[in-house]
Amino acid sequence: MNNDKHTVVGKRIPNVDGYEKVTGSAKYTIDMVLPNMLHGKILRSPHPHARIVRIDTRRAEQLPGVKIVLTGKDTLGRKNGIWRSYRELCDEEILCRDKVRYVGDAVATLAATQEDIAEEALSLIDVEYEILPAVFNPLDAMKEGAPEIHDGCERNMNVYRQIEWGDVEEAFEDCDHIREDTFYCSSQAHACLETHCAIASFSHDRKLTLWTSSQSPYYTQVLLSDMLGLREGDIKVLKPHTGGGFGGKLSLDSAQYCTSLLSMKLMRPVKIVLSRAEEFAATKRRTPIHYQLKLGAKRDGTLLAKKVRAITEGGAYTALGGTALYLTGFFSSFPYKYPNFQYDGFRVYTNNEATSACRGFGAPQANFVSESQVDMMAEDLGIDPVEIRRKNGMTPHHEIPDQAVIQSCGLQQCLDAIKKYIRKRGELPPNHGIGVSAYGFMSGGIFNWIDTPYAFSAAMVKINVDGKVDLFTGATDVGQGSNTTLTMICAEELGVHLEDITLHVGDTSVCPVDLGAWGSRQTLMSGNAVKMAAAEAKRQLLEVACYYLKPNIVYDLNIKDHWIHFTERPYRRVSYFDVVKDAIRGKEGNPILGYGHYTPHGKGMVSPAYSFGVQAVEVKVDTETGQVDLVHITTAHECGKVINPIGLEGQVEGASIMAAGWTLTEDMQTRDGKIINDNFRDYKLLLAEDVPKMTLLEVDTYEPEGPYGAKEAGEGLTIPTGAAIANAIYNAVGVRIKDMPITPEKVLRALEKKAAEEKDSEQFVAAASA
Amino acid sequence: MEVKCPVCNKQRNSSMKIARHIFGTGDKSHRGWVNSQGVSFTDLLIAQAMEAGNRGFTTLAEIIERVQETA
Repeated sequence: MNNDKHTVVGKRIPNVDGYEKVTGSAKYTIDMVLPNMLHGKILRSPHPHARIVRIDTRRAEQLPGVKIVLTGKDTLGRKNGIWRSYRELCDEEILCRDKVRYVGDAVATLAATQEDIAEEALSLIDVEYEILPAVFNPLDAMKEGAPEIHDGCERNMNVYRQIEWGDVEEAFEDCDHIREDTFYCSSQAHACLETHCAIASFSHDRKLTLWTSSQSPYYTQVLLSDMLGLREGDIKVLKPHTGGGFGGKLSLDSAQYCTSLLSMKLMRPVKIVLSRAEEFAATKRRTPIHYQLKLGAKRDGTLLAKKVRAITEGGAYTALGGTALYLTGFFSSFPYKYPNFQYDGFRVYTNNEATSACRGFGAPQANFVSESQVDMMAEDLGIDPVEIRRKNGMTPHHEIPDQAVIQSCGLQQCLDAIKKYIRKRGELPPNHGIGVSAYGFMSGGIFNWIDTPYAFSAAMVKINVDGKVDLFTGATDVGQGSNTTLTMICAEELGVHLEDITLHVGDTSVCPVDLGAWGSRQTLMSGNAVKMAAAEAKRQLLEVACYYLKPNIVYDLNIKDHWIHFTERPYRRVSYFDVVKDAIRGKEGNPILGYGHYTPHGKGMVSPAYSFGVQAVEVKVDTETGQVDLVHITTAHECGKVINPIGLEGQVEGASIMAAGWTLTEDMQTRDGKIINDNFRDYKLLLAEDVPKMTLLEVDTYEPEGPYGAKEAGEGLTIPTGAAIANAIYNAVGVRIKDMPITPEKVLRALEKKAAEEKDSEQFVAAASA
Repeated sequence: MEVKCPVCNKQRNSSMKIARHIFGTGDKSHRGWVNSQGVSFTDLLIAQAMEAGNRGFTTLAEIIERVQETA
């Protein structure tokens, strides 16, 4: 692609909402106060599994300032779930009626005039529980005689998914070398700076307005409508700035549901902000997974067959875990051309907090295990780890049978770039190691969970008489920068300046439907919708401009710098503002409107496009303490045409560090189902001082399905870091950790074991030679 | 040899692949057919998840072969 053709796309543009965020003037739901507003709280179960015998709310109701206390009996008794076509997977009441299934399940909610009164009132609700046996490990939960968490769900088997092509068993017979390994990937909290929160206001015309921190206002609207028995059009969801989502704010949550219930009863606005402890306990988390992998190769490094078995810990409810289960299987085959592949995934209920989507949606787990094993295979065969990846890596137009067609793919260029970097780095100091990992990810998912008849993304562009442009989109900026990306795409397509555009987002009553921010979908899907809407509006302007410029039919017109001109002869031009005015006059005074939409069709099962990349992480291992320090992270990420390089850099840095934290330090520790490190003192996120220098290597590709050739650059960047760190540790000190998180204790134990084995071996050799 | 799914008549080249298809589909009719053969769909699925090897699926594959032979 020739970058010079673009006036906005590809330029380094600061976030359109950056000033507000940096100066602290940006308003988040958590900051908002409405007149006459009450404060809500939620009472949560202290037991992992119990029957609710009786709830006595009288003492709480009598506390001065308390306005109402509600329990599950005050609800319609419906079960929440995003899989609306599969009702058996809609299994979460949110406000439990008969039974609690994890520590944190909600049993009552109340509203009071002050937050501290609401807090005090919670302690006055008496709940009598009949404690039931609980099970916390998926392997135990499947055993005969294990407690049944959901009635009728035999042995707690929640979802089974399989993927297969070729014939793995036959192919293993043709392999020269086969590896079988087991791995465990741990959980991770989303750890959003803004905890889940909502303000609901139900008015006398029976319309509900909800301000909330959400990744998808549309999903929130639809799911609330199901749960409350209101029509979708009677619910307006407003999304102010959002302080992070990472998959945790995608489905309906307890703050959104309880504030709505309370406000509907009281006809007053009610606000609930989850505490940090509630955020840890009751907002879902990354799916922990036990893997068994079998990988077969020819002597020359050709990977012939791969078999993956995954058992995921589902926690108490389905949430979006079925998709994580499928995607961890699908991405276990990435980014290689396996001729034979088989995946069996089992999701099992336990009495822990439910697991769901978390940045990367099952792919980081798949990559940790797969890319660790590919490195082991390379060593077994005596092949350079970059070369085994090159030999088997995906290339453009690769077809994954019955699953996907890869159109653009710059994996080979990424491998070249990383190999060059490693060579340039030269010899490493003692106990330093570089590990690599190759990956790919989807640019939005082809998953219509809620069975919407609407387009996946839609946008509207309105050009007003002064030439200013209003862009309406349902896309959701949760900090990843989609507001900026979409404004840039609109400006580029329409030929106007960024400051000509006013963006309207986060209001379901005026913005077109968009499925929201998940699966790295906004740039490609919402971007295509915006581009189409802008092109439609532009077409209407050019029609009018033709009357002024009277071009020969072979000439094209374009818009740039507020002039409409011949593309090839820019000096033949007419004022953009004059044309806008005449176009509006010609429409009987109506503004110029352009509509755009995007829904993937004929693009396989998973995604319309895939990004690819390779990451190299250098670590330093302290052999006395087992401490692993990150020295340098270098990423070659190909995401088609980069719309905004600043946005890409931000995503590389944020995603890499989030993944490094998951790999090294973040560990949700539980005792009898209760998360015991439910705060940022004991739950160890990486800090600024832990962040190493990072380098982004540019790799140019063009994705025909994406706007201007762009594809994803968000979640995918979370994928490679875990395996790259594990491989780097092995290369530094020779120990392979297959069980996350890779804590200093595990490294130290592995080093001691290695030393003992080496000593035994030396003694054996000495004895044999004596 | 082509093997047919006893529930939906889908064809595959081995009974093992039909067994995988039955578990993969997992709807009420496929589940019900497995349970009607004197084994438990869930037990076989869990055997497949928890045990090394393929006992869960091979057990069903053998049943499918038997049913096909007697049909």
